[in-house]
Amino acid sequence: MNGTKGYHPGLVDLDSGEISREIFVNADIYAEEQERVFARAWLHVGHESQIPKPGDYFVSSMGEESVILTRDRTGAIHVFLNSCRHRGMKVCRYDEGSTTVFTCPYHGWSYGTDGRLVGVPYFREAYHAKLDKEKRGLVEVAQLCNYKGSIWANWDKAAPSFQEYLGDFTRYLDLQLDGWDGREAQAELLGGVQKWLVPCNWKFPAENFSGDTYHNISHRSVDLAGIGPSGRSRRDLGERDISRKLHVCIPDRGHQTILYLMPPGEPTPPAYQNAPIVQEYFAHCEAEKRRRRGDYGRFVGAPGEVFPNTALLSRQPRTMAVWHPRGPNQTEVWRWFFVDRDAPSEVKEFLRDYYIRYSGPAGMTEQDDMENWNYAHKASQGVIARRHPYSYEQGMGTAVQDFEWQGLKVPGDVIDITEVQSSEQPMRNLYRRWSEFMAADSWADLATWRRNDRTAAE
Amino acid sequence: MAEPINVRDLAPGTRIVLVDGGEAEIVDNPADGVWVFARYLSSPRDPALAGQEEMIFAQDVAAIRE
Repeated sequence: MNGTKGYHPGLVDLDSGEISREIFVNADIYAEEQERVFARAWLHVGHESQIPKPGDYFVSSMGEESVILTRDRTGAIHVFLNSCRHRGMKVCRYDEGSTTVFTCPYHGWSYGTDGRLVGVPYFREAYHAKLDKEKRGLVEVAQLCNYKGSIWANWDKAAPSFQEYLGDFTRYLDLQLDGWDGREAQAELLGGVQKWLVPCNWKFPAENFSGDTYHNISHRSVDLAGIGPSGRSRRDLGERDISRKLHVCIPDRGHQTILYLMPPGEPTPPAYQNAPIVQEYFAHCEAEKRRRRGDYGRFVGAPGEVFPNTALLSRQPRTMAVWHPRGPNQTEVWRWFFVDRDAPSEVKEFLRDYYIRYSGPAGMTEQDDMENWNYAHKASQGVIARRHPYSYEQGMGTAVQDFEWQGLKVPGDVIDITEVQSSEQPMRNLYRRWSEFMAADSWADLATWRRNDRTAAE
Repeated sequence: MAEPINVRDLAPGTRIVLVDGGEAEIVDNPADGVWVFARYLSSPRDPALAGQEEMIFAQDVAAIRE
């Protein structure tokens, strides 16, 4: 008998490289995750370019909670729980828009874009003007961070700041949000947010985007069809032939990514050869990036994951995704598409076509992934299947700290997969951190790096 | 009973009569069908409200002053 009722440490055994299927399919564990992971971790909510003017709003999610990302009359950005303080009805039922107030359609309580309760029907008559409106504003997140235009929020006031939460992973988020030419915070959204449901647990896509290079075989058909920008493979990725391909994990934070580390002095291989304007734009930007970033201009981004559920893909196609949990057996994927704000319109149009080919529910590559996650999840729900853990044994014991190649150090636990092709260090890193969140009672236990810093100082 | 008024249709400048006999002028309309922003012209319930802006609940709007 399995008998698992909820989370316990033996489910994730990183010494043997075995992880129980229960953490993906068990409803009790899923319920615990909402409290222990999603109510305490920093979560991506949206991008400031989605709410450019006062009164603009975008309805997002934090875990299972509906939240409103909005800009008040003074221009300040807020994230509120989308739930009336009177009887809990959603006060905003649109995906996005602009307003002066959020009015609950149930009994009519109304809130300003700064979250204050401003309208209560029969306030004088039924409440005898005694209801304390100051206490009944919309519930606001404990912490909010606008990092280079991307908006992140946290329900836990004891959590570290977002940048402390990122630690040495900041550089990889910068690759996503800075300009291709290395200027800071130049990303803007291209089109709307694509949203769709996948019948699998949210951790399937989270671990896949943590750096699963082993599943490339499932994209073989796309590679053969040649959906890449230059009509070959999936991406133009000449860097692959001259770079070190690394798995980079930040162990005390739970973030991880694939990284291509270019040799110094080597120009970036050409890309977008079928579109001269696009090719010229990116060649110019690559040269500028090397000049501005110095040695770190050698970093070329690839799929990665900010713990717990935000995926980065800073190169081709340049997107971010959030894996919203919608029950143990369902994930709602939201994908944001990025371009450089100042890129020529021809470049934006070209990238739009490429993004559509690649990503989203109709994108040819993302379809492959969904097929895998869907059926892997389904085939792990039975009582017999649950007795047999998954294997995460690739590359165990081979990670090095502070990897260095040709004069550049890469912080974190790193496995050079240039020759070995693959490791499962990123997944182990993800589930190590997930286990810590599931076990820890507070951020005092989760901010392990503070303890290590203190020990080192002593 | 009077026909309900669709407050979404009330443009700024429109004068309304309230169920308590007061009068007000619309200054802004969030178009949520529930509230309007209005400035009191008079209020038999509380004369001090005259000149003040408040949110007026749709069910408190009795008529449109022609």
